[in-house]
Amino acid sequence: MKLSVPMPLRLVLLVLGTTAFYMYLGQIVPQKESHPPPPVLINAEMTTEDLVTVGAELASGKGQCLVGCHTVGQSGPLRYPDLDGIGGRAATQVDGLSDLEYLAQSLYEPAVFIVPGFADGMQAINQPPINLSDDEIKAVIAWLQSLGGTPNVTLDTDLGY
Amino acid sequence: MLGLNLPVVIVLAAVGGVLAWRRANTLTWLLYTWVALWAFFKYGFAVPIPQSVATIYLGITGLALVCFASSSRERLSETAQPIVRLILEPRYRLALAGLLVALPALAAYNVYADLNVPLEAPGFGREVHPPPPTEMTVHDETVDMATAENPYLHYNHDDPELYGEHLENGRRIYYENCFWCHGDGMGGDGMFAHGLNPVPSNFNDVGTLPILQSSFVHWRIAKGAPGLPGAGTPWDSMMPAWEKFLTTEEMWDVNLFIYDFNGYEPRALGQH
Amino acid sequence: MTRNRILFGIGVLAFVSVIVTVRLGGFLVDNEYRQPDRQVAAQEELGEAELVPRQQGIADEQAADEAEARARPYEEAEYRTVPFVGSRVTVWVLAQLHLLFAAFVLAVPLFAFIIEFVGYVKKEERYNKLAYEFTKLLSVSFSMTATFGAFLTFALIILYPKFTNYLMHIFSPTFLPYVLLFFLEALFLYSYYYGWGKFGPRMHLFLGFMLNIVGTAIMFIANAWLTFMMSPGKRDDIDGDGVPDFVSAVSESGALLSLRDAFFNFTWMPINIHRIIANVAFGGSIAAAYAAFRYLQAKSDEERAHFDWMGYVGNFVAIIAFLPLPFAGYYLAAEIYAFSQTLGIQMMGGTFSWLFVLQAALIGNLFLGANYYLWLGMGRMEGGVHFQKFIKWLLIAIALCFAVWATPRYAISSVSEIAAMGGSSHPQLSYLGQMSAKNTAVNILILSTYMSFLLYRRTGRQSIHPHRQLLTRAQAIVFSSAAALVIFYGVYGYFVDSATRIRFAIPQVYSVLAALVVITVIDLPLYRNAAQSGETKWGRIPAVSQYALIFIALSFTWLMGLMGYVRSGLRQEWHVYGVILDTSPDAYTPSLGFATQVVSVTVLIFFGLIGVVFWLSSLSGKKDYAPGAAAEDGGRLEGGQAA
Repeated sequence: MKLSVPMPLRLVLLVLGTTAFYMYLGQIVPQKESHPPPPVLINAEMTTEDLVTVGAELASGKGQCLVGCHTVGQSGPLRYPDLDGIGGRAATQVDGLSDLEYLAQSLYEPAVFIVPGFADGMQAINQPPINLSDDEIKAVIAWLQSLGGTPNVTLDTDLGY
Repeated sequence: MLGLNLPVVIVLAAVGGVLAWRRANTLTWLLYTWVALWAFFKYGFAVPIPQSVATIYLGITGLALVCFASSSRERLSETAQPIVRLILEPRYRLALAGLLVALPALAAYNVYADLNVPLEAPGFGREVHPPPPTEMTVHDETVDMATAENPYLHYNHDDPELYGEHLENGRRIYYENCFWCHGDGMGGDGMFAHGLNPVPSNFNDVGTLPILQSSFVHWRIAKGAPGLPGAGTPWDSMMPAWEKFLTTEEMWDVNLFIYDFNGYEPRALGQH
Repeated sequence: MTRNRILFGIGVLAFVSVIVTVRLGGFLVDNEYRQPDRQVAAQEELGEAELVPRQQGIADEQAADEAEARARPYEEAEYRTVPFVGSRVTVWVLAQLHLLFAAFVLAVPLFAFIIEFVGYVKKEERYNKLAYEFTKLLSVSFSMTATFGAFLTFALIILYPKFTNYLMHIFSPTFLPYVLLFFLEALFLYSYYYGWGKFGPRMHLFLGFMLNIVGTAIMFIANAWLTFMMSPGKRDDIDGDGVPDFVSAVSESGALLSLRDAFFNFTWMPINIHRIIANVAFGGSIAAAYAAFRYLQAKSDEERAHFDWMGYVGNFVAIIAFLPLPFAGYYLAAEIYAFSQTLGIQMMGGTFSWLFVLQAALIGNLFLGANYYLWLGMGRMEGGVHFQKFIKWLLIAIALCFAVWATPRYAISSVSEIAAMGGSSHPQLSYLGQMSAKNTAVNILILSTYMSFLLYRRTGRQSIHPHRQLLTRAQAIVFSSAAALVIFYGVYGYFVDSATRIRFAIPQVYSVLAALVVITVIDLPLYRNAAQSGETKWGRIPAVSQYALIFIALSFTWLMGLMGYVRSGLRQEWHVYGVILDTSPDAYTPSLGFATQVVSVTVLIFFGLIGVVFWLSSLSGKKDYAPGAAAEDGGRLEGGQAA
């Protein structure tokens, strides 16, 4: 007696098996749906503290700062500068720029000063695709200041951009 | 060495050596390769590699071995020959029966082993080094986190004898208070460590002390888990706020000691 | 008998599908717009007075419906939806199927032409026959491409009317040339196919050449539409700092500023290059799968020999195109990075990073499958055992590189594993998850595959070149120094900062490419007129090799589906990146698991259809229908129908 599977059936099994195998691989990796960022509302009464909260949301949402680029509190081979303690460092990064001016410049014109050891790669975040509004950028600055510093930006602050 | 579990590696290599010496057939080599790699991934590393990665590696190995066995007519028949003999020849009947029992038993054991694992909470991402505040108050004294340094560090050059005294004091404090969790060798593996999640910090790690300013370490010692910022949650840290038990001098001493013990220097201000 | 049954089955199927189409149309019309007039007319006969309250109520309701329908102003729909499946998945599957057939139709003439040309130069009839065999697959696939293209266009107009309208606004001048080129494509394709042997060889080659030019032009136009959606603008150094800046082809509100910039946009050329190479690899693998299918069907040794050879050539084409493909992919990825860092990071480190672990599995399988087929092919030669001992080492190299490439940057690990590792990356393995290691792995994979091919080429042959020892040694030196250079840069990458590390990929790629070229240049004279220790016995290969060919074709198709998903999904919630936002419910990016399900379904549909193409193509080789031989089957069939 010889067991044998007819050729067409073998082909069908091969096609189904291979496809199913690749599909299975797709199922076992981490699953994540990414939804378009919900609109973050900023109103005129927001205090600096509120801005920090909104800024933190923007950083990992619409602003995409923490989506694959920057980290907070990580070491080792980094893609882009770690933001840990940036609020404390900001004032001393570039001579002649206050912490507020430095942070605003880094967001509006990121190519002007590149942290040594890193490549130029950031986009101006007030332009598409990220396209944050000026108020949203103030919120992000407030959040950055809160990382190791004391936030003092308000919606009335003039960033000069 | 290299983070490997040497005895396991040596045993595996020795088995391979015996196989080479006895001129084992292809099938034995294939089986040995797979089993040895399985054992190597499971037991061969000092820090075990995650199951998911081991599965990927073993899958690739399996695929490669099947390709090898069937890569020519001659090799396929050479590989299959022992199996055919085992099934057909009467003198292997006992071995065959044993195999027929062993294979399902192995599968059953595998199921048992897979299910018999302690229940675990799902993993979550968490910041390893939470952002410190700009300043903090320890024992009514304001510490500027950006500029504060260990006040006794400079004795290292200026007054080695005094430095030694502070170090000795730090050692005493460490082994009175800290080693329960952080371990004799500061590997984060003290006698209570296995009960804690997250595990206590490992001070031997190149990614911990050298990249932190001593003021950060001072902050962690003084304020402990209660002083952690809300942004870094979930935190289940058990670190006590040591300012309630130790004087400022004692805290800086133990700070000095853990750096000295591991041979690291604190990260200087503004250094990246 | 079976043939009649199949024909009967097709007849029934056609009949059923006509009925289904008519019923479906009726159903859709009924649901789209209920005619209120018809009911009202029926009621007029009854007369107003005889209406019972229930009828009155129904009549009032209908009157109200009608009034509402008349009062409703016409609104331009932004999106329409498909029940159950959803608009996005509908367009996705249709676009992918269109693309798979189109890729095949574009690729086959490319290498059919080259094979025909080789036959013309070498004056060997078998190449000519082989080229014709490949071309046979074209005509049905061409109709499939057009069908799915039309289907896709309708789906876009119906489901994404506003956005499609926007694309028309940008690209309307390109559609007419596209249609004209399509006409020419049909003209050249059919004259190339039906004119086989009817024209002089030069004239016929010219037709094939024009077919390729036209086909490539069509693809370039279509590529402009889709690359515009990803990168709506060109690169130009405005501020003069030597770094190209982005110049948008459209205004902030989306109005067209420059059609030229929209057409020749940032990622247009990289996609063109990537697609041509990938199409040839894909087309070769599908053609090889066809040969494998025929081999498995074959009844005689002669047929087997022929289709074994055809499968070998198809696979050879696929592998030759596949070797530079990672470089073209790297170039495309680098251009995407250059266009937008956000897109680049999103792709490699963000949402899509796990997709590239899957890609590694697929490409690893492709490399393994291709090498496996070559090794099995060594059995064709008499006295081919000589190189068998190298297979072990090649396999080890390939498996190692495969493993490195499939190592995730951050492994999936449980809490206790994280606790044991002291973080989310393993102290030793984390080195393997990084770009340096992966670039090295893929370069070594390419070198190993090329080595397999060289060994295959040498099997059963003996060089008669006067300096054979010297040349072979030179090859070995070039090979090992390329490998050493690749590994050196891979290791050195860990000791420099990230900005320097990224640049190391380039010398790695160049050293491998240079090695491939140099070794080939040495190999050609070395084995010209080489002494054969035995005859190459085409057809003498284990059947499993043919399944391996089909597996390779499957993996290629699946890989194209997956990479299609990442190329398109990368834009995330944008229709046109940074300009037109997708506001439909399908704007979110689906999980990888869902995407792989869609890709799998697409691949299955494609293979179902390509099976039909294979079957139709194999008909031409069958014996003609003779009334006498099939009479009794036919009689039985008619009897069945009468009963």
